[in-house]
Amino acid sequence: MNHDINVKKTRLNCFRQSKVPGEFMLQMRVPGGMVDAKYLENVKHIAKTWGDGNFHFGTRQTFDIAGIKYENIPAVNEYLEQYIKEVSTELCDVDMNTVAHEPQPWDPKSGYPTIGARNITACIGNYHCICGNINTFELARKIEPLIFPSHYHIKINISGCPNDCNKAHMCDFGIIGVSKMTYHAERCIGCGACVRACEHGATRVLSLNEGIAKVDKDPCCCVGCGECVKACPTSAWTRSEKPLYRVILGGRTGRQTPRTGKMFLNWASEDVIIGVLKNWQKFSAWVMDYKPEYLHGGHLIDRAGYKKFKEIILEGVELNPECLVAEDMFWHETEYRSNINVKPIEQHHTAGPQA
Amino acid sequence: MGYTLNTAQANQVLAALRKDYTVYAPKRFRNQGRYSATDVIRYDEVERWEDIVWDVKSDYPAKEVLTPIQQAIFYFTEDEYRESKGPKKPILVLARPCDINAQHVQAKIYAGNGGYTDLYYERMRELVKFAMMECNGGDDTCFCVSMGTNKTDDYSLALKFSEDGVQVQVTDDAFAPYFEGQPEADYTPAFVEENELKVTLPDLEDKEVRKALKNHPMWKEYDARCISCGSCTVACSTCTCFTTRDIIYGDNPEVGERRRVTSSCQIAGFDQMAGQREFRSTAGDRMRYKVLHKFHDYKARFEDSHMCVGCGRCTHRCPELISISATLNKVSAAVDEIKAGQAKQ
Amino acid sequence: MMNPVQPKPCTILDVHKESAHEWTFRVETDAKVSHGQFMQLSIPKIGECPISVSAQGDGWLEFTIRNVGKVTNVIFEKTAGDTLFLRGPYGKGWPVDQFQGKHVVVITGGTGLAPVRSMLNCFASQPDMVKSVHLISGFKNEEGIVFHKELEAWKEKFSTIYALDNDTKEGWRTGMVTAFVKEIPWDSFEGNYAVVVVGPPPMMKFTGLELLKNGVDAEKIWMSFERKMSCAVGKCGHCRIDETYVCLDGPVFPYTVARDLVD
Repeated sequence: MNHDINVKKTRLNCFRQSKVPGEFMLQMRVPGGMVDAKYLENVKHIAKTWGDGNFHFGTRQTFDIAGIKYENIPAVNEYLEQYIKEVSTELCDVDMNTVAHEPQPWDPKSGYPTIGARNITACIGNYHCICGNINTFELARKIEPLIFPSHYHIKINISGCPNDCNKAHMCDFGIIGVSKMTYHAERCIGCGACVRACEHGATRVLSLNEGIAKVDKDPCCCVGCGECVKACPTSAWTRSEKPLYRVILGGRTGRQTPRTGKMFLNWASEDVIIGVLKNWQKFSAWVMDYKPEYLHGGHLIDRAGYKKFKEIILEGVELNPECLVAEDMFWHETEYRSNINVKPIEQHHTAGPQA
Repeated sequence: MGYTLNTAQANQVLAALRKDYTVYAPKRFRNQGRYSATDVIRYDEVERWEDIVWDVKSDYPAKEVLTPIQQAIFYFTEDEYRESKGPKKPILVLARPCDINAQHVQAKIYAGNGGYTDLYYERMRELVKFAMMECNGGDDTCFCVSMGTNKTDDYSLALKFSEDGVQVQVTDDAFAPYFEGQPEADYTPAFVEENELKVTLPDLEDKEVRKALKNHPMWKEYDARCISCGSCTVACSTCTCFTTRDIIYGDNPEVGERRRVTSSCQIAGFDQMAGQREFRSTAGDRMRYKVLHKFHDYKARFEDSHMCVGCGRCTHRCPELISISATLNKVSAAVDEIKAGQAKQ
Repeated sequence: MMNPVQPKPCTILDVHKESAHEWTFRVETDAKVSHGQFMQLSIPKIGECPISVSAQGDGWLEFTIRNVGKVTNVIFEKTAGDTLFLRGPYGKGWPVDQFQGKHVVVITGGTGLAPVRSMLNCFASQPDMVKSVHLISGFKNEEGIVFHKELEAWKEKFSTIYALDNDTKEGWRTGMVTAFVKEIPWDSFEGNYAVVVVGPPPMMKFTGLELLKNGVDAEKIWMSFERKMSCAVGKCGHCRIDETYVCLDGPVFPYTVARDLVD
């Protein structure tokens, strides 16, 4: 088959090139991995009408439909109008007529305008899970308009609790729902259930104080998971009224320098999370001097250096009193390729304003 | 005497009552539930009428007012145990009939068992009067009608809550002055006549049947399911068990207090003596012990009622979703099986 | 209002080491105690535990304590002149009235000798009370032997069998107490006897079965139980077995009751 297709362009449109020339796979955004089940009808319609009839769960919780012929992309995009309008515009309050917060008119029949900001993934969170500390997909829906549409790449994973089933440690900007516990000593019967739960399932920060038959806590290493609350038969441990968040920065998979992320913020409020992510476009633009490349957020932090990242990303953000910020960042890559942590900033591809 | 009050008027009465009584009622504690974004409803002093939770059952029972999870019973120095002082102010507890009936069960143990009356229970009980909250039917874990604890006449006030306010019946003249000038309207409380859940109690009269039941394999199910956390007995309206503990004050090890702290037959170590093994070492053993106490042993000793008011809180609070009514059905099935076996012999 | 759980300070008069782990404390008190009853011992900041009265005299009581728990560990730091706190006595003791004029057989395991010690001393000093006393006392090993002086003295007054579980000792037998039950001259009692069994739960269980095997009437056997307690007055629930409270209805039970109690 003789094709002449600009696959870079189809990629920006969220159609991924197939090994079968002329075929593509659509990736539909599902912010936080949760939408009304009625949209499965749309997925089915696309797959049966233009795709190969199958459906794949995207690794970033997108609805993936493979086997779409290049010539059918306009028809698929036209069909997508309603889904994008309902999910992106109405559910998540996304302004489709912008890119990276700058005005840019969008043709509603043209499908997704950018691929940069990847679908925000989330575990089911406290919508269902007994471990979850936060409503993960509601947070995803609040973040979606901050990062999409944009050509700047970022992968955000949201986990409802420090068990991190959704691998916040393995993406550019991982968010983990945590809580600061309150100990109501007057309700404690000294049974030790929380101590055992923390020993078994968390960071061993609790111990039974025999002298007073109460529980002592080493707050330093508490990860804020809430296992003590779950275990307590008397509600002597309770979660903080408002949930808090931990941000794990710069994790990634990849051929060259995979690494787990490192803690950037701890005990951050939702306002702080939103404030920081509002600055993401500005930070990315600074690193790449307003010329987006196909490069993920963690690499941008490497280019800028953590100190510069921190300076830009925290601009105008008012930290809640409990919030802790990493003073420095000591990356820990698997060294298939390079020692990014000791690579001089000037030796990185580019960083900052270019001549 | 009866009254119908709107919320503002109810607040006036509450304010007047609070001058002479400490008023306890179920209150909502936001986000303090076992799971995130869930609440806990438990007893606490109320200052505003709107804080009273009346439309759903509290997670924890009214017994927490009379027999707190923790209380100081003595203060000690090296050469003296000095009795703690109890509250002086009378107490008004808003409670549903199940919770009020549960106090009659607790009293049998605290005030009378073995000829000893517990000072700490008695001094609280003497201060307490009940305002009976007409029950709106509870939830699907309730079986008060099966236990005969749906009705009570042990109350000074009866209250029927609604969105707009409250209907009140005053049965104790001492409370009449607080309602002076409020709009009068007849109200007679109603009691729940039927629960969605009906429980048939197993027949445990026969000693040989009980003996066989104690060794029945049905209890093994709980070895795998029950985590021995004690949530059921803490939430139980009637359970009384406690442990005493001496605790020392931080920087002066010679001074401290002897505390009474709620304990649970479901938690490992309840029957363990120093240096010895437990008698009931499995969750199944502990479940058997609890169920037989509730539905045979208590009544065998005190005669008039079982040690369960059917409030369903044990089921409601169990993190492993063990239902007391389902457990009783399993006991009944085991008893039928045992009896059939005996008949054959 | 009377507070049944109020501890009263008492002075320790003497501390006597029975063995490495079992010491007897003589405490000044005028509490009137029946043989087999127990008291609640308190030490401020450590707590409280039930201990059976192992001997009594004019103005004093003795408690023989094994240091296995946190309360007893601290009691072992006390010496004459120090203060202990007491309340009680509690529970039902041995039905000594019913033992009068009978052949009394006492079978003990280890420190189980403590709750019968005061009764045995009473029988020793008033030989007319009972027709005879047969005592089988077993201990795990030589280190576990308590009341050396009394054991010697009782040899003169009672018919005794002393035994170590596995070890040998001059003048002592080797084996479990159950092995010696058949040596008691049951037939000579002509039905006029009472049997007292105290020791660890398995020892009491197997001794009960051995007694039945030897034709002993179940209704003539008594046992003393030891259970965890916080209050000793029927409130805390720790010692309850079925509808029975060990603190109120025990610690001494007729075997016909004891054998049916399932913890």
